[in-house]
Amino acid sequence: MLLHKAWAESRTRFLIIAAALTVFCLFATFSNGRPLAGGALLLPSVHTANYSERIYDLVYSGAAKGMFAILVIFLGLGGLLRERSRRTAGFTLALPASRASILGSQLIIGYGELALLSLLPGFLIPILSRLVQQSYPFHEAIHFSALWFGCGSLIFAASFLLSVVLPGEYTAPVAGYIVLMLQVLIALWQPLRPYRLNLMWTMGEFGTMRRDANHSLLLTGPLPWTRLAVIIVIAAGFLGLSVKITQHQDF
Amino acid sequence: MLRHKAWRESRTRFLLSLLTLSALCVAFVFFEGYRGTIDGKPVTYLEYIWRLVYKGYLRELFDLIVLLMGVGGLLRERDHGTSGFTLALPVSRLRHVCARAGVGVMEVVVLAFVPALVVPTLSPLVGQVYPWFQAAQFGLLWAVGGSFLFAIGFFCSVLFAGEFIAPIAAILLLLLYSVITDFAWVERYLISVHDLMSGSESAFFQTTAAVMVGPLPWTALAVISLVVLSSFVWAGRITMRQDF
Repeated sequence: MLLHKAWAESRTRFLIIAAALTVFCLFATFSNGRPLAGGALLLPSVHTANYSERIYDLVYSGAAKGMFAILVIFLGLGGLLRERSRRTAGFTLALPASRASILGSQLIIGYGELALLSLLPGFLIPILSRLVQQSYPFHEAIHFSALWFGCGSLIFAASFLLSVVLPGEYTAPVAGYIVLMLQVLIALWQPLRPYRLNLMWTMGEFGTMRRDANHSLLLTGPLPWTRLAVIIVIAAGFLGLSVKITQHQDF
Repeated sequence: MLRHKAWRESRTRFLLSLLTLSALCVAFVFFEGYRGTIDGKPVTYLEYIWRLVYKGYLRELFDLIVLLMGVGGLLRERDHGTSGFTLALPVSRLRHVCARAGVGVMEVVVLAFVPALVVPTLSPLVGQVYPWFQAAQFGLLWAVGGSFLFAIGFFCSVLFAGEFIAPIAAILLLLLYSVITDFAWVERYLISVHDLMSGSESAFFQTTAAVMVGPLPWTALAVISLVVLSSFVWAGRITMRQDF
């Protein structure tokens, strides 16, 4: 029942984001797969040599990654403060379930949706590439899906924590976006750059891509398991803190 | 009264954004010693400020903040069950819309001029100079461009009910606009607000020296202002016909 409630509250956001990602993947493959007459590309500003580089520039390193990161902030909005402003918190808290299980159900559904959104380009890009007589390695697409899920889990957790502590309807997403940008800016500070703390760099494998022997494919290296593990531990910390705070809040 | 109501509903977002933009401008000025080089050439202070503030990160932050400042309104009040109280006030729906739009645009203008105030004021403290007039010109560009982005969020909040649907739709609309204006064959006909606000690919700004070299694009600014005003009027007319 709690899972169904969490799904009903978040499904519209999830479906809109999924639709947007799907449309973007369609646009990325069909606009780059077949050059226009004369060899020009629909997006000549993307000055890259081959199909896998163009897909990387547009999807995994470019606009789709940014859109995903920003929209995950909205996916992560949860907690019970929103219900307090709508005056439904009393009904929800009267259910025979602990506050931790109410939040837990939101997190299970939320992370499930995050996983599906992360996997969406991972399946769409290789399949749609075949339709335009191109190929994109499936394992490369899944590699980025894993990175998007890992980094997205931290963005989700931060957004969830902000929505638990900040009242006001749109304060939490604004704060979430500010925190995301601050993280990027702090990570760009010269003394910290060697540690590659920039979440967006990790999501897009910035500076770690290489070409294959034939220079026809842009390939990733191994997954940064240690970095992902640290990110997930931090995310778990945020979520634990969110549950603790909610248990002590007065509705 | 309506303006006070609109201010109360948006002030937390506004103050948070004001604090963040101010703090970042201060940080960028005081960390100018880390500006480094580009292609082996040392980056000048003007170029450093342009890349961080007017072209890059701060402008992107400003863009999304003002977009999110536009959401709210009567459809959200309907979901909260308070629209009946608001509509029972002895004022027309159009005045409700105008009050929210007016307060929102004022907030956008204040945020737009934060870098114009902070950067030239603090630059002498680090032994640098940033021209006041150039900062003011960028402030004006941001005020008009920011109003356009605010209008996108505002319009989506009038069209879309449901929690967080309006801001998500606004972000997707902004992304669509950004992609379309990036096409070479569209650039000639459709103004790119991002390029206008940053001065990139424009005749009035020289990116290599990061200085204003010509008059501001007054025609483009007037067209954008007209589009913003029209969108508010259109939003008002839609609100007048909605059922709450």
